[in-house]
Amino acid sequence: MAEAKQQAKPMTTLLQDDVDLPALDVSSIPKKLLPVLDVNRSEPLRLVKVDPLAILKIVKHSRENFPSSVNGQLLGLEIDGVLEVTNAFAVPTFLGSEEDMTEYQLEMMQCLREVNVDSSSVGWYQSTRLGDFMHRPLLDVQASYQAATPNSNSSVVLIHDTTRSEQAGNLSLRAFRLSQAYLDLAKDGKFTTQELADKGLTCGSILEELPVHVEVSSLSSVLLNELQWPAGAEQDLLESLQRPSSFNVKQRAKRMADLSAVADDADASIETLDGGLSGLLPTRPTAYLSRPMCTNALDLNQSQNDPTLLSRQLEAVGELIDDHIRFAHQWVYWKRGEAREKNRRQQFVQRKAQSNAARVARGEPAEPEPTEDELDKMFKVLSEPTRLDTLLNTANLDLLTKGVAQSRGPALTKMFMAQGLHGGAQ
Amino acid sequence: MTMLNLNLPSLSGSGPAKGAAGTALTATQQCYIHPVVLFSILDHYLRRNESQDRVIGTLLGVRSDDGRVVEVRSCFAVPHFETDEEIQVDMEHHGAMFALHKRANAREQIVGWYATGAALSKYAALIQDFYSREAAPFSAIHMVMDTALTDGRLGIQCLQGSAIGVGAHPENCLFLPLPYELQYPDAELAALQAAADSAEAPGGVAALISDMDQLEKTIDELRAMLARVSAYVDSVCAGTAAPNNVVGKYLVDMLAVVPKIDPSQFSALFQTHLQDILMVAYLTNLTRAQLNIADRLQRIV
Repeated sequence: MAEAKQQAKPMTTLLQDDVDLPALDVSSIPKKLLPVLDVNRSEPLRLVKVDPLAILKIVKHSRENFPSSVNGQLLGLEIDGVLEVTNAFAVPTFLGSEEDMTEYQLEMMQCLREVNVDSSSVGWYQSTRLGDFMHRPLLDVQASYQAATPNSNSSVVLIHDTTRSEQAGNLSLRAFRLSQAYLDLAKDGKFTTQELADKGLTCGSILEELPVHVEVSSLSSVLLNELQWPAGAEQDLLESLQRPSSFNVKQRAKRMADLSAVADDADASIETLDGGLSGLLPTRPTAYLSRPMCTNALDLNQSQNDPTLLSRQLEAVGELIDDHIRFAHQWVYWKRGEAREKNRRQQFVQRKAQSNAARVARGEPAEPEPTEDELDKMFKVLSEPTRLDTLLNTANLDLLTKGVAQSRGPALTKMFMAQGLHGGAQ
Repeated sequence: MTMLNLNLPSLSGSGPAKGAAGTALTATQQCYIHPVVLFSILDHYLRRNESQDRVIGTLLGVRSDDGRVVEVRSCFAVPHFETDEEIQVDMEHHGAMFALHKRANAREQIVGWYATGAALSKYAALIQDFYSREAAPFSAIHMVMDTALTDGRLGIQCLQGSAIGVGAHPENCLFLPLPYELQYPDAELAALQAAADSAEAPGGVAALISDMDQLEKTIDELRAMLARVSAYVDSVCAGTAAPNNVVGKYLVDMLAVVPKIDPSQFSALFQTHLQDILMVAYLTNLTRAQLNIADRLQRIV
């Protein structure tokens, strides 16, 4: 439960302080914002739009704390069923009490409000390492977020998979919120087989996934353009090519090593060094980004960056399968116990009926039939162990195996590409 | 509220200098900037107050032990108010924000400040003096982002203050350009790539695409590049285009990077790797099938 304490807490309720607002002039409000003012409206959330700033902040936070999982707060606005995430901030992982956490978030949001940042919380984010993020704390925190927002639908959790973003060269950011079926069940805390079947809740339907779009402001696209094609980049390239190539490589290596002087840990920088100098593709120019050399999408050595990633994933799958079997055994054990009790109860009722019949035949008055309550008391049926853990276990297993299976496609493609390259070279 | 009130001595006639800008501090020699900083500054500029045309803020980052290499990792906005006569910087906000930031990220320290605008603010020397003291014992860096888009470019400059003239006065400061380089860690690259894709899309909005689609796109682009290079090489061979030694050298470099592997060795490697991949795919799919069956059975029970 220590983990749960460290999770972000919804802030919306706390920020609705009693500020005397001047009378609103509706005509002065941009048309786009009118739906926001309508408190009673409730439109289901259908899309999450994220600003690159928020993405970069999330990515930076997760990367710097890799491999531990971190979380933080998302700021933004919900308009017409579209959730716009415009900013985010990190929440320290080692804060002691829950009050500290709340205070931290409150202070941060007030500070940000002073500089006109959207100060309403629209959810939170969490980073994951292997892709198995379905755990109870996550569900609990998300449930409290969804309970805190007035129309209970403008809160999402963004899951950022650091390893996948790095290795596949493709941003892995997914938005989720809890489904109504889960919320209903969680309210009563009843996760029995019967209830699950009634509500149709399966491991896939605990969370609803929302499509994530990236929205770039005009000024940001100018910046992106500038990053892709900076002034003088061609000149730099030409100059560096005037020198002998061997020296060139060395210089690049040196430049990488320079970076390591201030890099987080030595391991990471060594990795960049190796990754940059070996492999099928030429070294990546660090000074600017340009497709397709910039991302790791074509990196054949994916597994070399982190040789243990796949095996770690498979290990996790193995552990989850063990858990799955354990849960299944537990359930079967309970089921047997339940059946035995039921059996005994039935036999007791039958015996009672027989003896009564015998008494009537002998002309004696029949004993009163035991009531249902009395029977329940005599034969205690153990309550079913909660199925939530099993469900989460299955969900994690599903996520992991899906992730592994999905990463195999690109891996195969790249292998055949390498083969094609070698075939062509000979 | 504590405000830092800075006046130009010539205008207000205030006394001697409080500290020396840039003297006896280790000079920074190289600066690395994370892209998140640039986006934060732009966001701050977009959200400025109506009457404001310049925003400033604090740069945070880490330094090498000798202070010569600086890595700017994040930043936060500091409200300020500026007139022709004086400038007010909200120090309370600066302090509170730094304290908050410190709690979430203990390693990052103040390394300097940023401002937007085409040219240096006339109060730059004064603010620089303040940040030099914050960043002590190292010198503070100053980053200027040209949000006015002079020359149609979003120019980014890194500067460091250097004391000038006889006697140390905070307003006597010469800003010298500092070489800087942007840093793109792998995860950030992926994020920027997604943002760049959106920027190219109509309206600046695009959905995230799957790994496979991303790979397909990348391969298509690689093929287009190869086609362009082949066309160029062909035309040089045919004598229609003027050969360029630099490009030739670059191509040689590029070809040299392709590792030479013995064909039999390669095919052995290829086969084992292929089998591994297929095995993993088979096992995961099997697990998924089992899970599905278990899930269905549960509902029958």
